[in-house]
Amino acid sequence: MSITTTGNLGPMILQSLAPAMLYVPTPTMNYITVCDKVSMPTHGGTTCRFMRPRALQPPTIQLGNSGIDPPAQVPQRDIIDAQMAFFGTGCIINEQVILQDQEGVLAWVSERLAVAMRQAEDLILRDYIVSAASTINAGGGSNADNPTNLGVSDFSLVATTLDTNNAYKFMSGIEGMDRFGTGPVRSAYFMLSSTELQSDFDGLTGSGFLSQWNYPTNASALPAEYGSVYNIRILTSSEAPVARGVSANGQDVYYNTVVGKQAVTHINQDGYSMNLIYRDPYYSGMLAQNATLAVKFAQAQAITQDTAIRNLLSTRLASLVI
Amino acid sequence: MAEYSRLASGQTVARGVDGQAAGQTAVVIPFLPDFIEIYNRTRAVAGAGVTRAWWVKDMGQGSAFLDTFGTGEQFIAPVGGTSSGALVSGTGFSTIQAGLSLQYGPTFLLGGAGGIAKTSATQLTVTTTANHNLTTGDWVTFQNLYQTSTTGMQQIAGIPFLVTVTGATTFTISWVGNSSNLTAITTGGLNGLASFKKILYPVLYAPHVAYPWKIDIGTTTTIHTTAPHNYVVGQQVGFRIPAPYGMTNLNELPNTTLPGFPIYYYVTAVTDSTTFVINVDSTLFTPFTVNNTFLSFPGLKFAEVVAAGDVNTGGWPYNGGDLYPSPRFFNGFTSSTTVGVSTINGPAIYGAFSNATFMGFIIGSGVGGTTGDVIYWRAYMHDINYP
Repeated sequence: MSITTTGNLGPMILQSLAPAMLYVPTPTMNYITVCDKVSMPTHGGTTCRFMRPRALQPPTIQLGNSGIDPPAQVPQRDIIDAQMAFFGTGCIINEQVILQDQEGVLAWVSERLAVAMRQAEDLILRDYIVSAASTINAGGGSNADNPTNLGVSDFSLVATTLDTNNAYKFMSGIEGMDRFGTGPVRSAYFMLSSTELQSDFDGLTGSGFLSQWNYPTNASALPAEYGSVYNIRILTSSEAPVARGVSANGQDVYYNTVVGKQAVTHINQDGYSMNLIYRDPYYSGMLAQNATLAVKFAQAQAITQDTAIRNLLSTRLASLVI
Repeated sequence: MAEYSRLASGQTVARGVDGQAAGQTAVVIPFLPDFIEIYNRTRAVAGAGVTRAWWVKDMGQGSAFLDTFGTGEQFIAPVGGTSSGALVSGTGFSTIQAGLSLQYGPTFLLGGAGGIAKTSATQLTVTTTANHNLTTGDWVTFQNLYQTSTTGMQQIAGIPFLVTVTGATTFTISWVGNSSNLTAITTGGLNGLASFKKILYPVLYAPHVAYPWKIDIGTTTTIHTTAPHNYVVGQQVGFRIPAPYGMTNLNELPNTTLPGFPIYYYVTAVTDSTTFVINVDSTLFTPFTVNNTFLSFPGLKFAEVVAAGDVNTGGWPYNGGDLYPSPRFFNGFTSSTTVGVSTINGPAIYGAFSNATFMGFIIGSGVGGTTGDVIYWRAYMHDINYP
């Protein structure tokens, strides 16, 4: 008996493309979330300028009965400047790719370019904050490094610092409810941390850390929110800054950015931000062979209230094993 | 056809310590080249050294062909490869994309013959067993500075330092080197683990946080930082001096005369890349000290100064080049302490927060000639490459 199998009558086309693209691992982009937003006007020069009035002296000295006015005060202001910068990237795609490829190359390349652009926006803010915001080395942990791993006293210290600096919190508190396992959440600053620290946060459960899942309600929790400690709500991302192997004892150093309102401002260029540019092959050489897809954007950033932001530097309790 | 290719040319000056072989010299261009060629005018006139060198991408990072006066053509291989004669592999050309911060070179152990000497009130001298391959102007940060389990220099670990190279295995950093609480590191430190890492891209955004190691009190106050501060005259700065460092009088807060509002100062003079003067009479302030005890290092906060703004209204001053120059910063790629490297993003207000990211290529120490040499260069990115 002869049985016809795929060995002698195989399919002419062996493969079939699955209907959906696979996901592209993409970090959560938290830095843009905590920024104030300002638009730089067109025809407005290269530099965005911010002005903050200085506080006037409260008149705490009584006038007395002399009828004489006290000395006049001279109002002053502080100025912060930020220079606009331009960014972009793109792809040159031969028409044969577009013509012959089975899936919509232009569609998914456009999508990737858009994500790359958004990620660049966030990474620029991240690195700027690493550069320009002052730091507090964690000292409340137990690993005898500098900085140490995070202890609850570090959260308390940095929140105390920002409160003393009259920073504005981002979130009002969440009132306690009669729900098993939940607890009230204080009004809070945001802390932008690495996902690699989540096990350390879990280790603080019972001594200050409250998982987002244990909030009385998740209504105000952000998608990246992992939990809270005292007056700080923690957002995690795999792209949070980590300085590898540079602690005093040679361990990784994590930049946990604790931030209040108006501490950082993201500046876009009015009429320019986030351009996706497609150029038909018609615009390439004499045979019109190559299309281009590109993105460009303009961005500047400034620490607009330096007393309302701190990078809380820490190590981990134990070496990371992934 | 040259529809997508990039071509650039220019000249640069080999970077390093005067009178010594050049270290790494960065050339900033707006693309990543796959071909680089240099001509060293100074070496050609002197009749000694590398007069010409070139590189194509397929040779690998750190490699080069070179023409040495009187010797002829030779080859420098990438790290780990076989080079001509005694040439050191990996010291040729490499491309660079300085776009993301917190990148470091490999851990460099000081080694059995290495250590850190308490040279003077202004200096620590680092000695390495192997050649450190650093160039004056590089930035480093230290780790594991134990001499014993309870002595050493862990108080300075984690702080960025500007390097002044004094020899192939020695360099100095600025610090109060005779502090009584520092113990010199010898024989590579405890278990031979004393080490440093080079900070690859220390200044991608400026101005930025800087770390004072010495503050001179007086009717004006002079701040000395461990690495370039990148502040300008008219810069507004704020201080965070933790209590162990003494001079908390400088701190932004608390403010006893105007509760709640931060105290800022203005930079009135910039002496060099690591020294500036502010407009405060500190005569009666508590003296600044970095003499923290060794055992205090876990969780030790560092003294910091930050840029909070500026009072300027004009752009960067004309310096003989562009009429409206781009900001210039000491970014770890210049050996000068008085003239920074120009950024590529056009004019800005003097003292503004600016982006200093860049790309281009590095002329390595194996082809860079002698410090101060005039080098002409060409860089290409071709339409197509057949590897």
